[in-house]
Amino acid sequence: MNLPPANGPGDWPRRVERHTFHRMSDAATVWIVIPALNEARTIGGVVAPLRAQGWRVVVIDDGSRDATAAAARAAGAFVLRHSLNLGQGAGLRTGFAFVRRQPGARVVVTYDADGQHQPESVAALLDTLERTGSDVALGSRFLDGTARREVPAARRTLLRLATLFTRMTTGLCVTDAHNGLRAFTLEATARLRLTHNRMAHASEILGEIARLGLRYAEAPVTIRYTEYSMAKGQRPLDALAILWDIFTAGLR
Amino acid sequence: MLRSQVLLIALLAGLALYLFRLRTTPRDRLMYVVMVGLAVPLVLFPDASNVVAHALRIGRGADLVFYLFIIFSLFHFATTASRIRQLERQLTSLVQDRALAAPELPTDQRAPNA
Repeated sequence: MNLPPANGPGDWPRRVERHTFHRMSDAATVWIVIPALNEARTIGGVVAPLRAQGWRVVVIDDGSRDATAAAARAAGAFVLRHSLNLGQGAGLRTGFAFVRRQPGARVVVTYDADGQHQPESVAALLDTLERTGSDVALGSRFLDGTARREVPAARRTLLRLATLFTRMTTGLCVTDAHNGLRAFTLEATARLRLTHNRMAHASEILGEIARLGLRYAEAPVTIRYTEYSMAKGQRPLDALAILWDIFTAGLR
Repeated sequence: MLRSQVLLIALLAGLALYLFRLRTTPRDRLMYVVMVGLAVPLVLFPDASNVVAHALRIGRGADLVFYLFIIFSLFHFATTASRIRQLERQLTSLVQDRALAAPELPTDQRAPNA
């Protein structure tokens, strides 16, 4: 609750602005959750510009065998270590649980460790979240024409199929089903019931948004496809692994 | 459609229903007992499979046994997969609890009580 100060003794506040969370200009209430696996080379360069904006950063070291944790801490991030590699979905859940324990936290942003996301995109997400009063802001690389051209053709086709699948299974009207950039109000993260450890969590999050009827809005974000991020990122056949995870999750 | 095809498809559909909706560990044990219970008479009376197979218009008893073997394999595969998922969930919460119990601060922040 942040009510405006009363105008004077005995004055009623004329109009109380309703805020679902503190203003985004209060950067310290924003936490960025970054699951990372063997990203010692890039993680410092990913964390530092986010810290420079005043946002809090927590890196979940998902069983790395290199100096990812030390590099992240040196750049100003909190670090949680998974003793075993569990997967990105599990990393996000650990991060959410950590942020919910932090006093003053209001917004959680999910972010990738491989350098494909940009700090400006976080600003766009926060702006969308605040402007629309949504529970969730979802990054989309297909919202504006400039971003569209950046996406490699094969990746674009696969993502289009994934988006179609998401629209059919959840009924959500989104333009990008597998974008790792999202902003949640803290209350929203508490309501999500997530179970997938690996990449199927992206579909699961959208499914939960649909099930809970959360208010969502999309924000345009730019994904930088570098050789490094393409090598670290998803391969086309991983789509089958995602479908497999979703299918077998129904087993009792 | 042949009588045997209807029967086998119904068996597969029933298996799917069981695996996705009705499964419990005690019922699994019951299934294993039933299957072993089917196996013993077949060993004692090898010709029995032929009799049942002919009644169902399946060519040979060996074919019928093979079909049942496939269905049993699917059942066994799914129960094992489910067990692995359950272990994975337990392992996940263990690893997550450990991580949350020992958060590491940024290097430039002094640890509390340090």
